[in-house]
Amino acid sequence: MIPQKALSSSIGSKFLIALTGLSLVLFLVAHLAGNLLFIAGPDAFNHYSHSLISNPLVYGAEAGLLALFVLHIVKTVWMFAANRTARPERYAVRKWARKKNPSSRKTVASTTMILTGSITLLFVITHLVTFKFGPYYETAEGIRDLYRLQLAVFSDPTYVGFYLFCMAVIFFHLWHGISSAAQSFGIDSPHWTPRIIWTARLVTALLAAGFGLLPVFTFALSVN
Amino acid sequence: MKLESRVPSGAITDKWDRRKFENKLVNPANRRKFDVIVVGTGLAGASAAASLGELGYPVKVFGIHDSPRRAHSIAAQGGINAAKNYRNDGDSVYRLFYDTIKGGDYRAREANVYRLAQMSVNIIDQCVAQGVPFAREYGGLLDNRSFGGAQVSRTFYARGQTGQQLLLGAYQSMMRQVDAGTVTLYQRREMLDLVVVNGQARGIVCRNLVTGELESHGAHAVLLCTGGYGTVFYLSTNAVNSNVTAAWRAHKRGAYFANPCFTQIHPTCIPVSGDHQSKLTLMSESLRNDGRVWVPKQQGDKRPPAQIPDAERDYYLERRYPTFGNLVPRDVASRAAKGVCDEGRGAGDSGLSVYLDFADAIRRNGIDTIKARYGNLFDMYTRITDENPYQVPMRIYPAAHYAMGGLWVDYNLMSTVPGLFVLGEANFSDHGANRLGASALMQGLADGYFVAPYTVANYLGSAALPAVLGTHEAFSQARAEAQARIDRVLKVKGTRTVREFHRAIGAICWDHVGMARNEAGLNRAIADIRRLRDEFWQDVTVPGDPNNLNPGLDYAGRVADYMEFAELLALDALERRESCGGHFREEFQTADGEALRKDDEYAYVAAWQFTGVGARPALHKERLVFEEVHPSQRSYK
Amino acid sequence: MTVKLRVWRQTGPGQPGRMVDYVAHNVHPDMSFLEMLDVVNEDLIRKGEDPIAFDSDCREGICGSCGLVIDGIPHGPDKGATTCQVHMRRFTNSETITIEPFRARAFPVLKDLVVDRTAFDRIIAAGGYVSVNVGGAPDANSLPIAKDVADQAMDSAQCIGCGACVAACKNAAAHLFTSAKITHLGLLPQGEAERSRRVIRMVAQMDGEGFGSCSNEGECEAVCPKEIPISNIARMNRDFLRALIR
Repeated sequence: MIPQKALSSSIGSKFLIALTGLSLVLFLVAHLAGNLLFIAGPDAFNHYSHSLISNPLVYGAEAGLLALFVLHIVKTVWMFAANRTARPERYAVRKWARKKNPSSRKTVASTTMILTGSITLLFVITHLVTFKFGPYYETAEGIRDLYRLQLAVFSDPTYVGFYLFCMAVIFFHLWHGISSAAQSFGIDSPHWTPRIIWTARLVTALLAAGFGLLPVFTFALSVN
Repeated sequence: MKLESRVPSGAITDKWDRRKFENKLVNPANRRKFDVIVVGTGLAGASAAASLGELGYPVKVFGIHDSPRRAHSIAAQGGINAAKNYRNDGDSVYRLFYDTIKGGDYRAREANVYRLAQMSVNIIDQCVAQGVPFAREYGGLLDNRSFGGAQVSRTFYARGQTGQQLLLGAYQSMMRQVDAGTVTLYQRREMLDLVVVNGQARGIVCRNLVTGELESHGAHAVLLCTGGYGTVFYLSTNAVNSNVTAAWRAHKRGAYFANPCFTQIHPTCIPVSGDHQSKLTLMSESLRNDGRVWVPKQQGDKRPPAQIPDAERDYYLERRYPTFGNLVPRDVASRAAKGVCDEGRGAGDSGLSVYLDFADAIRRNGIDTIKARYGNLFDMYTRITDENPYQVPMRIYPAAHYAMGGLWVDYNLMSTVPGLFVLGEANFSDHGANRLGASALMQGLADGYFVAPYTVANYLGSAALPAVLGTHEAFSQARAEAQARIDRVLKVKGTRTVREFHRAIGAICWDHVGMARNEAGLNRAIADIRRLRDEFWQDVTVPGDPNNLNPGLDYAGRVADYMEFAELLALDALERRESCGGHFREEFQTADGEALRKDDEYAYVAAWQFTGVGARPALHKERLVFEEVHPSQRSYK
Repeated sequence: MTVKLRVWRQTGPGQPGRMVDYVAHNVHPDMSFLEMLDVVNEDLIRKGEDPIAFDSDCREGICGSCGLVIDGIPHGPDKGATTCQVHMRRFTNSETITIEPFRARAFPVLKDLVVDRTAFDRIIAAGGYVSVNVGGAPDANSLPIAKDVADQAMDSAQCIGCGACVAACKNAAAHLFTSAKITHLGLLPQGEAERSRRVIRMVAQMDGEGFGSCSNEGECEAVCPKEIPISNIARMNRDFLRALIR
């Protein structure tokens, strides 16, 4: 029995943030795997997407995803606000302690989580508006032609640039996010923790690279 | 008033058991009716508060720090003795008792010391049960080391931070009682007076150091656990806020002060580097297990140590004390260091230091072994001196460290004011004229965990303690007097700072009541102290507000008390016309310069009764009877 | 040498404060940082001004009383050192040094550089102990504990409770302090019986005191005078989650 109060504690909150964050990463892995079918051509891609959106389970999955997002955001924003009030008076001079002791893990990534997270949120909204709720093209078979939509969207180099920027931001967010999640889960083996973190970062890099590849690939296709 | 030590009769092995049985008990349901005040939160105070709280007494705890965990017991490095004989090397309760009596140069009360040795084994059990992370061996059992020249390995330790770990254990036990509601903490409070009603200690007046407000707190018994007076020397290994104030104010209310001249000067401290110095840092005595102490043979030899060949070095401890060598007791080692420096053979720019050399040990055991043993101490040394002891010999010099003297207490740890108990370093009881290494922690915890809970209960259960309200005139009078002292010191508005006066009184005491004393010097010291005291009250300056956090004002009160206490320190040293332990009178030494005790005349505790500032205090003698250990000349040759 | 100081001055709790400039003359490189402040204070006292209030006691790095933020870093520039162990040889002539108190809602400033850290005591009171009364302890060697476990417990037990971890954390979190005690006691068999209850209560107290939460950056570890690692925090998190699902 997990009391409500425990999950709203500082540790419980971080646990939920880590859990939702990592779940979203897993979603990204699946998402990327599907999207890479784009390279295989319109038929494969559109059939895959059709099988997804025509499946009645998709509503449940979308609701779940939304819940993960909302929980992740609500918890972090609430925590960010609480953390601000924990130090009402700021320091006149503030320095990172890395120079004193290199053990600090503080990075630009770790200090900008709320910013990179906010950009990610904006990206997700834009992404949904563009694709999920974007123009409805239909293939000859009568299913939604998302291949055409993607081709149209990424023919615009500005949009490609925006996408690449957002992928970099998400990568940045996860750079700290994943190692932080390991800590929040309480993984502290001197042997395994660094390995877990670097594996996770490798996955992040592959994710970002994969998601970055698609707009570039599509753009190249549209130019040809 | 006749001093009654209240030592139980019977064989020494049975005395404490007998006393425990004779003691009155307090019914568990009645305990909540007896309020107990504990002043000070070091090993003695925290352990007493925890154990009394566990028994169900409502305990009020007072401390000058922001947290009880800051009390200076935290800084003890080396370890704690216990007669566990885990090493099968011939240790026993009796041997620990014997060593402590002998180490104290036969100026401690036998029955107390025996009880201390008995309790030592319980302390280790208790601390381990609390989760104190003592050093262990690979087999999982507790490790021991030989310490302070003991012939057996009976010292338990937690790296170089034994005091810290023991204090945190006691502190945590006390905080458990805070959580349970039996103990209430009053931190950043300084006791300014003892309130005595009908001849019984019934409360204290203290100052809230944040708001400046004077507060009265009533109780049925008061336990003083406020440590020693080492900072009377200004520079000492004590914390900068350590002071005699609580003990001195109790003394002025009728508690006799015993053997103040028994002060311990610790031989292995980092030497003074300049006038700016605010305190001296102790380097654990364990360093003497591997380090060799030496000075140049030649007077005024200022060559760097590496350039002085072995033949031109005087390893004076090994030369003078072949059996114990570098491990002679603290008083002997300190005096010897002073001796060679006085001859002009001291090291360093000031000439006031001796070398502690690890070159041989590094050669013998390898640098890694030495690093594992003393790495943290070497780092600390480097941080302070900017010198690397792996390459250059350390320089050390003695510094004031511990006060064996303190308020007189009977076997029950009760002072001459009924209801006022004194525990730990603040009392005089267990170390005689010299304390052995790793025995201070033992005494603080024995007093707090295992002695006071019985003897305080006996007092509460047997004394007639009429109800006294906080509004009693004794409280208002004590408050008014405390207020008057504060007003007086603020009103002087002179030109010299409190620190200047503290430095000056420290210099007088160090020069004349330090490692070596003589009649002329002591007489001069008394005159100088009196003059300085007058100057203090005419020329001190203390800025700031009395109704606010004002560390300068707190400091002024403490130094003002040292202005009075120092005179007693010097007088006691003057009147004790013998040498023993840490008290070395140059007139009384053997042909080869060792302390010459005079047991016929001075085998007593000198307990001084306050008769007024500047007035000669009355001396009461508690004769020491040695039934078990026959006093002999200490020899470490 | 001479150094310029910018020091936070505040007359009392809740009062407005400001940075005030001072010059410290005749600074000797062998002086400790606090001895340098002593000298500045001596000058202020002679001028009849209120000296700069700061906490300090043992001056050998173990009591945890002192704690200043020196040029933006709690306890100053030296790794593994407290403020009292920093020496002036670390600074250069005519350098300007900014000195501020530890800042956190849970550590209100009492005056100048003195803060109230009693929140730490209340966290300990919420379970930072083994519940044994005096008297009934079994023989100390009846409970063997592996040396590496005892050593690891000691690593955590070394915490001096100075609060630098809170001061350095961007969230003013007390996780390192709290987790060090939870780890010390949680590693030892003596602390096992209360392991769940302890972590739940201590975390609740910590949160209730108004400290922030942990962002896993490790600034606390970097400024800790005893260099207590944030793996302690991971362990506390694990113990907390374990306590919840039991």
